[in-house]
Amino acid sequence: MGRILVVDDDLALAEMIGIVLRTEGFEPAFCSDGAAALAAFRSTQPDLVLLDVMLPGMDGIDVCTHLRAESGVPIIMLTARGDTADVVRGLESGADDYIVKPFNPKELIARVRTRLRPAPQQVGAETLRVGDVTISVAAHEVRRGDDVLTLTPLEFDLLVALASNPGQVFTREQLLDEVWGYQYKADTRLVNVHVQRLRAKVEHDPDNPKIVMTVRGVGYRAGATV
Amino acid sequence: MASRGDWSNWRRWPRELADLWRRSMQVRVVSSTLALAGTAVLVIGLTISYTVAANLFQSQLNQVLTLSAQATSAANTILQSSDASDATAVQTVMNSTLRSISATATTDLIAVYRVPDQESSPIAPQDRVASALSAVITPELRARVQASPDGQFWQSVTLRSSSGTFVPGVVVGSVLTLPSTAGVYELYLGYPLTQTQAALASMQSIGIAGAIILLVLLGAIIWFTVRWVVSPVRTAAESSQRLARGDLDVRLPAQGSDEIATLARSFNGMADSLQAQISELANLSTMQQRFVSDVSHELRTPLTTIRLASEMLYTDRDSAEPQITRTIELLHDQTIRFEELLADLLEISRYDAGSIQLDAEPTNLVHLVEDVTATLRALAEGRGSVITITAPGGHFDAEVDPRRIRRVVRNLLGNAIEHGEGRPIEITIDSNTSSVAIGVRDHGLGMTEEEQLRAFDRFWRADPARARTIGGTGLGLAISLEDAHAHGGIIELWSRPGAGSNFVLTLPRRVGAARSGKPVPISPDGTGGDDEV
Repeated sequence: MGRILVVDDDLALAEMIGIVLRTEGFEPAFCSDGAAALAAFRSTQPDLVLLDVMLPGMDGIDVCTHLRAESGVPIIMLTARGDTADVVRGLESGADDYIVKPFNPKELIARVRTRLRPAPQQVGAETLRVGDVTISVAAHEVRRGDDVLTLTPLEFDLLVALASNPGQVFTREQLLDEVWGYQYKADTRLVNVHVQRLRAKVEHDPDNPKIVMTVRGVGYRAGATV
Repeated sequence: MASRGDWSNWRRWPRELADLWRRSMQVRVVSSTLALAGTAVLVIGLTISYTVAANLFQSQLNQVLTLSAQATSAANTILQSSDASDATAVQTVMNSTLRSISATATTDLIAVYRVPDQESSPIAPQDRVASALSAVITPELRARVQASPDGQFWQSVTLRSSSGTFVPGVVVGSVLTLPSTAGVYELYLGYPLTQTQAALASMQSIGIAGAIILLVLLGAIIWFTVRWVVSPVRTAAESSQRLARGDLDVRLPAQGSDEIATLARSFNGMADSLQAQISELANLSTMQQRFVSDVSHELRTPLTTIRLASEMLYTDRDSAEPQITRTIELLHDQTIRFEELLADLLEISRYDAGSIQLDAEPTNLVHLVEDVTATLRALAEGRGSVITITAPGGHFDAEVDPRRIRRVVRNLLGNAIEHGEGRPIEITIDSNTSSVAIGVRDHGLGMTEEEQLRAFDRFWRADPARARTIGGTGLGLAISLEDAHAHGGIIELWSRPGAGSNFVLTLPRRVGAARSGKPVPISPDGTGGDDEV
């Protein structure tokens, strides 16, 4: 069903996570050293990476940055601290989501499944337009003219969620539900950080966005089609 | 103590002056020095003035007496050598004699009287009296002159000058003997002491001016000297205040080796040691935070493994033997409890280390309370407690950290359910212009006064013998109190054994803003709190 690379230096925890994943039908692979994580990623070609923040060799944030440089693979950080600085650093380096230790199996599996589920088929539309970019939903492709913009699956989901209802303003909570699958109140910083990352890729001028618009005090909406 | 006086109302002046005297060493030193120096200058000035006046008068008098004696003796020589025998000749001699006297004695104020009780003589000239002298020659002086024809007598008088002003003067009396039968005459010469008086007056005015200049200079010198001494003391006082306010970098300039420099060095030494100790404490606090963070990581990883393992077992617990099943359930529950305990410990450590950060946002407290109540309603109803929420109108959003306030409400409500004995629980939310408050009232066991004092202590349990059913870490109220304080709020408590408890959280509308009044009463019969924590 899915291959998952678990990067954690705590062997007991890694093994336990492996057992949980296997029970749910996933196929886990392991790596216990930050420096070896990239090689392990290339050799196993996982569908998702569970990445501990504190790692020997290279810390999780740096591993995340390097992984993002070559792949849009979903990355979920495992962090021992809920501290603002760590979480934001992890998200800014490209992680899609994070789980604070200690967590329970249900939480872990729910987060993994959300990231692995196929993008929800929006209202049947094959092609969406927002600003001057075109989204081919089925092909998972975003184009500006002839250029293909490389988005991670999460960024793609985020953009599709906004673009499929062009008139609607989404609150951060709505986006957390739709894109991240959080049914309850979660960390709205997830949304803020990923909107920043998405803008960096699709906007001509991220400081003056035309595609992902901020609605002050409410949330975000898609920009007008040009 | 007012720092600046109110001089607009003269009725307050005495008090302001007294205040100034009390407050300013400079004013005190300058004014007392000036008072003492002024008295000394006055005494010395008066003495000098008196002595000089006496000396001046004496020397002028001596001169006058000499002139007068010379004139008298010269006149007597002229008169004796004269052979005039008829009235005209005698008159002529007399006139020329008087002119000579006037020249020799250097005065125009001359009076001549024929000594009474002599034989009358047809050739005796008339008395001649200068008008200025007519009123001032006393009978006593004349009597003395008449009694002793060879003597010379004087008397101080006030002369009226030609311009009409009065000046001090001296009248000298002596006797002239005229030729033939004309007889003996009294001669009086008047000398106004105008020059002496003028000299004295000018000396006095110079003296007074000198004294004033001296006092002003003295005042200024003392003012500056005292300021010179006092200003380092003032600087030291201001620096101490700044230091007390937490400005640890403040130091005094320390030059030389005098007392002020010693004071400055002692002050600086004290500030150095304070700063060192405070930065050491800050260091310790940073280390403590590091430690907490490390413990957090080190404990959480194995706990995660245990949690995952126990959840796996728990899911399959029904396939095991009954005893094993129960064991798995205990393991599972206690793992969760351990996790909560660790989370609470870390939270309270963060408060202790002062490293918490409020994420305040406008929050509707009624909605927040409804949310929390919804999650606990099932638990409450399981024990028979009905929760009612009363929210009289006028609720605007308050700026709070919703995560923390939700935690406070959950704690208070959890306690109420735990100790509520299945009786109704009432939650009241109300506000005034500056504060918002949430009250949680149960009608359960209640607490004694001693228990109320300890209710917010860490790990304190109301009744250790009572079985714990809901769980909780024993840190709930302690953390709630820290949460309230972090917002600038309080939690107040009313409780009576058997009558239940009322916990009221009162928060300012904005974090750190002023909080006033009690939107939700603390005790059931009034507004006052038994215990403000």
